Amino acid sequence: MGWLQSVFNFRIVSQYWEVFAQGIVNTILISAVCLVLSLSFGILVALGRRSSNPLIWRPLAVYIQAIRSTPLLIQIYLIYYGLPALLPFGNFLNETQTGIIALTIHTTPYMGEIIRAGLESVHRGQIEGALSVGMTPRQTMTNVVLPQAIANVVPPLLGQTAVLIKDTSLLSIIAVFELMGAGLRMFSETVIATESYVTTAVCYLAIYAMMLGLSGLVQRKLGGSAWQEN
Amino acid sequence: MEWFAHKWDIIDQLTPFLLQGLWTTFKISIVAIFFGSILGFVLGVLKTLQIYPLEKLINTYLHLLRGSPYLVQLYIVYFVFPSFNISWLNFDSFTAAVVSLSLYTSSYVTEIVASAIFAVPTGQSEASRSVGMTKAQAYRYVILPQALKMTIPPMASVYVIVIKSTAVLSVIGIAELTRQGEVAIMRMPGDIMFIYSLIAIFYFFYCFPVLRFSKWAETRFGSIGIDLK
Repeated sequence: MGWLQSVFNFRIVSQYWEVFAQGIVNTILISAVCLVLSLSFGILVALGRRSSNPLIWRPLAVYIQAIRSTPLLIQIYLIYYGLPALLPFGNFLNETQTGIIALTIHTTPYMGEIIRAGLESVHRGQIEGALSVGMTPRQTMTNVVLPQAIANVVPPLLGQTAVLIKDTSLLSIIAVFELMGAGLRMFSETVIATESYVTTAVCYLAIYAMMLGLSGLVQRKLGGSAWQEN
Repeated sequence: MEWFAHKWDIIDQLTPFLLQGLWTTFKISIVAIFFGSILGFVLGVLKTLQIYPLEKLINTYLHLLRGSPYLVQLYIVYFVFPSFNISWLNFDSFTAAVVSLSLYTSSYVTEIVASAIFAVPTGQSEASRSVGMTKAQAYRYVILPQALKMTIPPMASVYVIVIKSTAVLSVIGIAELTRQGEVAIMRMPGDIMFIYSLIAIFYFFYCFPVLRFSKWAETRFGSIGIDLK
């Protein structure tokens, strides 16, 4: 097994398993919190974007374009350095909380656009048909529009969630301890690049594989198309 | 008024410095999308041939690149590849940046090219085969011209993704826009927010027109249902 030791030293990796386990847990927790927050705000953004009031949809359009046209890293820096100055309680936020806020601000427009597309994907004839057979608007919404919209929305939402999980890696740059941070810590302590970074990559791929499995399950349930990667 | 004069002074001093960074961002993103497109085009066409082991291999490649963050890929190309003790894998930071970004880009392009080819109605390839074209001729003269037109809108979106990903390159010390900004902040630490906002504006004016073009191209060339952001 000597040759294997020289290619990839499992012994050193096994010494760091707790660090990586903590990293995985943190990555999943941060992603989950961001997912819930950005989905909630995303629904609001989608509804606001469909509003006919220019005072509502214009600022939202600017927000969406601004987020889409600038790198996440810059957005993280702006929130990290800007929030303490802007908010009275900004100084009490730690890196993880700041990171969650930055990622939520970044992900919300993407979620919003996906939800908006899902709502618009339901054909007008479906709504007219449902109303003309005597359904109330509420019945139309719950029995006709939402089931179709959700089936259309879930695959791209899963894709966006996978992107969100990968995006958490950038939080390591503002010293949030997550999976990438675990890899960086191992590298800074042992100075062996291969084991540190390959292990990090493998952990990310494991989370990704779980996401793939989950999407397969959802796909069978919904009978919709395969997940869309963004 | 004094505040305004001070900020204007910063803009005046930093603009040439940041433009230098923007130029590097431009260079790297163009080179990466060029090589990434070539690799992605080849893999995308190979994927549509539906040869089972080849398809599996390409899918694995796509999953590896899609399943891990670009930051990790960059670290692997920059720090892990040199440890293989193969001289040509001993990249300097610029080459590592271009190589990792090209590979990352190719994962998107492969998906786009394959989807576009599949979006060409099967009647087209059946018709070209039945008038006596070989499979290669059918690809060359019938399928690819139609498919490549449909790749234009999503390719513009991929270019925006590439530009935004170059910001990550600042961590390995490439002097692109973000890194130049960080250097400027070391000189003027009091104006950290202002300088980052300035960088964000630079990125915005670079990416926004490309996104608008992508949207316009979608109405012009049609959509293949890949919605990249």
